[in-house]
Amino acid sequence: MKRIESRYVQAQPARRPLKIFASDPMQGRAVGNLTTIEVGNEKLMPGPFGSRIEVVDYDGSVSGGRYYQPVNLDDPAILMMAGLDPTESDPRFHQQMVYAVAMKVIENFERALGRSIYFRGGRRLRLLPHAFRGANAFYDRRLLGVLFGYFRADKKNPGRNLPGQNVFTCLSHDIIAHEVTHALVDRLRRHFLEFSNRDVAAFHEGFADIVAIFQHFTFPDILHEYIRATRTDLRSPTPLVQLAQQFGYATGKGRALRSAVDLNVGGALRARARGEEDAPPSRLYETVFEPHERGSILVAAVFDGFFAVYQRRISDLLRIATGGTGMLPQGDPHPDLVSRVAGEASRTAQSILTMCIRAFEYLPPVDVTYGDYLRALVTADYELNPSDDVGQRGSMIEAFRSRGIYPDGVWSLAEESLLWENAPSGIPRFPVALLGDLSSLAPGAFSRASPAQEESPTWKQYRETSGELSEVVESVLRPYAEDNAAALGLEPGRPIDVQGFHSVFRIGQDGQLVIEIVTQLAQQDDSQTKSLGGLPIRGGSTVIAGADGTIRYVIAKPLSAARLEKQREWVELCDATDPALTYLPESKRGQRMQALNFETIHQGIVR
Amino acid sequence: MSPAARKVTIRMYNVGFGDAFVIRIPGKTSDRKILMDCGSIKEGDGGSIDDVVDSIIEDVKDKDGTPRIDVVVATHRHRDHVSGFASSAWGDVEVKEVWMPWTENPADPEAGRIRDLQSRLALTLHAELTRLGADENLIDLAANALSNEAAMQTLHSGFAGNATRKFLPPRDRQKSTFAVDCLPGVTVHAMGPSFDEDVIANMEPPKGKSYLQLVESAAAEREDPRPPFPGDWTVDPPSGLQLTAEESQIVEGVGDEDESVVAAALDGAVNGTSLVLMFQVGKVSLLFPGDAQWGTWNMILEDSEWPTLLAKTTFLKVGHHGSHNATPKQFVEDILPKPPADLWAMVSTIKRGTWPIPKKELMAALSKRTKKLVRSDEIPQAQQGVFASKAKLYVETEIPF
Repeated sequence: MKRIESRYVQAQPARRPLKIFASDPMQGRAVGNLTTIEVGNEKLMPGPFGSRIEVVDYDGSVSGGRYYQPVNLDDPAILMMAGLDPTESDPRFHQQMVYAVAMKVIENFERALGRSIYFRGGRRLRLLPHAFRGANAFYDRRLLGVLFGYFRADKKNPGRNLPGQNVFTCLSHDIIAHEVTHALVDRLRRHFLEFSNRDVAAFHEGFADIVAIFQHFTFPDILHEYIRATRTDLRSPTPLVQLAQQFGYATGKGRALRSAVDLNVGGALRARARGEEDAPPSRLYETVFEPHERGSILVAAVFDGFFAVYQRRISDLLRIATGGTGMLPQGDPHPDLVSRVAGEASRTAQSILTMCIRAFEYLPPVDVTYGDYLRALVTADYELNPSDDVGQRGSMIEAFRSRGIYPDGVWSLAEESLLWENAPSGIPRFPVALLGDLSSLAPGAFSRASPAQEESPTWKQYRETSGELSEVVESVLRPYAEDNAAALGLEPGRPIDVQGFHSVFRIGQDGQLVIEIVTQLAQQDDSQTKSLGGLPIRGGSTVIAGADGTIRYVIAKPLSAARLEKQREWVELCDATDPALTYLPESKRGQRMQALNFETIHQGIVR
Repeated sequence: MSPAARKVTIRMYNVGFGDAFVIRIPGKTSDRKILMDCGSIKEGDGGSIDDVVDSIIEDVKDKDGTPRIDVVVATHRHRDHVSGFASSAWGDVEVKEVWMPWTENPADPEAGRIRDLQSRLALTLHAELTRLGADENLIDLAANALSNEAAMQTLHSGFAGNATRKFLPPRDRQKSTFAVDCLPGVTVHAMGPSFDEDVIANMEPPKGKSYLQLVESAAAEREDPRPPFPGDWTVDPPSGLQLTAEESQIVEGVGDEDESVVAAALDGAVNGTSLVLMFQVGKVSLLFPGDAQWGTWNMILEDSEWPTLLAKTTFLKVGHHGSHNATPKQFVEDILPKPPADLWAMVSTIKRGTWPIPKKELMAALSKRTKKLVRSDEIPQAQQGVFASKAKLYVETEIPF
């Protein structure tokens, strides 16, 4: 082979730099706001149109709709500049930014989960940066798309925006990250779009905010700036820990939309305005129901955990820098210290974000609660890092405890009782041998080893793989699940839907590669669907097996009378508090719970 | 007073979609009279609201021929509860006291803020629905929340006899149970509207605030239409990136439901300001919850004293024309007295379009609890011997105390 034919010479760059607003246009040229991020390099058609994302710039706000010029990020002129410069007045930059931030979110998920994520049926996630007029943005499953709105800023109280200027939700890093996370959560757990208890929608919202906030810590300039400005106290209310500043100001709120530290939950801001103490956080979980507010409780708990770990990690640096006192002198901290602290902050943020996303492997497939999530977090982290040297798990458990979030059926909040129970021995082994080569079951698991092929429709390979998967499901997995239904927390005799199936790779404590197989099994009981507003009762289990087929965890939400009763109470509460139901025709009543979606939730309808 | 006369009479006028009740308590020389609301947004077969007003005024005349009402109550400012007060005929009626919810208090800044948002929202919503040519019932729903200046003027400064205005409940919870000189022997419990922050927050629906902005922004766009970006960036549908007709319809349809959702939110918000009153006369407890919604009800049910009182209910005016969330299930199932306790109930209602009002399940649950239940749109079906009626104009019942 000639040297020029070798991979070394032929290789395409692994990363593609693209410019974005690190927060949004309102921050203008504030330090670090105009930044360049890198995403995996793939061949892109105009749109951008890649392997997982397609940007469709369709504007439905005029009758008949209109399309805007799509950007070609592979155009040499644009490539040479690392993408178009940030501007509000060129729709092609908007397309570039939604693509870049969305890819960054997907990469964060892939990094945490250790596998590639493609959307079902070889489809791509659509991003519509200018879909409609309105101060809203939401994920719509029917379109497999995120619809971003644009609107004119409040005339009387626009913050730092011009009164009446156009504000684009698609230019807010946080809004993009938040909405794309909704799509990814839907990809990983399709039944989480059914709001079957008071935590499900809030989990969606809180989790999406967590991803958006922790992504801030990947922007080095901003991170340095605020560590310097706050003298390492990351709990100060800075844009680093706030969400969607421009949106908040442009809609006349006079503040950022949400924040990880300055909670506006349960009337806290109103109370503070009167100079009163906030409600004790431990009561919030019991009393706050609006999905975003309730989601903020989750965000605050996770952020608290982050902050505790971060403080522990920088305490030695502070002591070294201060001759052992740990008390910083007046004035700006030393730039070297800032940069070391920033490094710790960024590492801690990445590690917490990874923990938060990895927890998905340990979540039941249906009807998630905050308690389930806490247990999944603890288990995921335990599996990855059993010794917990920096107290990451301990801090997280403490943060949840102080907010009154306890899992059902757990006797204490000690780590060992929060871990999901190991599956009892005696469950017949998972039919690993029948699955063939495990590495082939993680579509694209190793694709990062061969970046950016000339022709990159990797989804095509995926579709082929998923074809194989369905055979595997029919011939191997379903019979196994049916034969062992009771042991797997399922109802024997009821049809079982095999919903997800993939292998997980990680490095164990002993440095060896550990392979696990994660399967999601679900069942549904439709007998009460009509009276429950269109949602069935779902049961299901996430089953985790070792490479030798030993069942390690069965994370089950069995169909039960108790769960039916809980769901009924929840539907009744929704009914009682929904003014729209008063006028909803009888004919639509049967689907009322189904009709809950992100469009209505993001508009701030309190349910 | 003979034992036979010791009866409180409750008369429900058939106003169609609205409320008008007169409570009559026998006194030493003449009857004491309370008027609970007087309004309608859709007339029933009892005639127009002005006709009803004339009959009410005729009915409250004392022996000297002067119409007198001891207490006029306006539970909340919805047209279907106050429109009748726009009539000039009220100028001749002597009234001692007028009771309104605390949200009507002109001296309370928080009340002012709530009224301001609600009326701006009603105006905007009504104009938008009219502009869009929306469904008639939906327009009516928005119109119901429009300020009715003439009616509110009567309530705040009209009537003969220099009436005292009271805004209830008092902010001091201890003063929520009280007696008044003009109603001797009657104890009044003002249970709502609540002062709880979350309930107040729902009186100013966040959804409404963002809707106002949306309409303002859309109006600015119509006035000064300009594309979102300077210059023309539109292109023919790019190949490979087109949406199907069905998909583009989904995108174009974003926001189509806004008005109906906001109209319902506003309706709930105004209902949320409803006075909830219980009158105790002897052993009789009359409960008038107005159109109170979940927020206020929830605070009442969580109170340390109110549930005990609710359990003594002898007469129930079913809230909000029998809709689903103005009468909590918990109240009906666990608190409302069970047979053999005597219970009377009245529902002022009429079927409208596709609205599920009155709620079938609620009507069924109540009729299981008592036979003494009457609907204003089914007066002829009222149980004989319990209820008396005058044609289709009103239906009344007497409860011994």
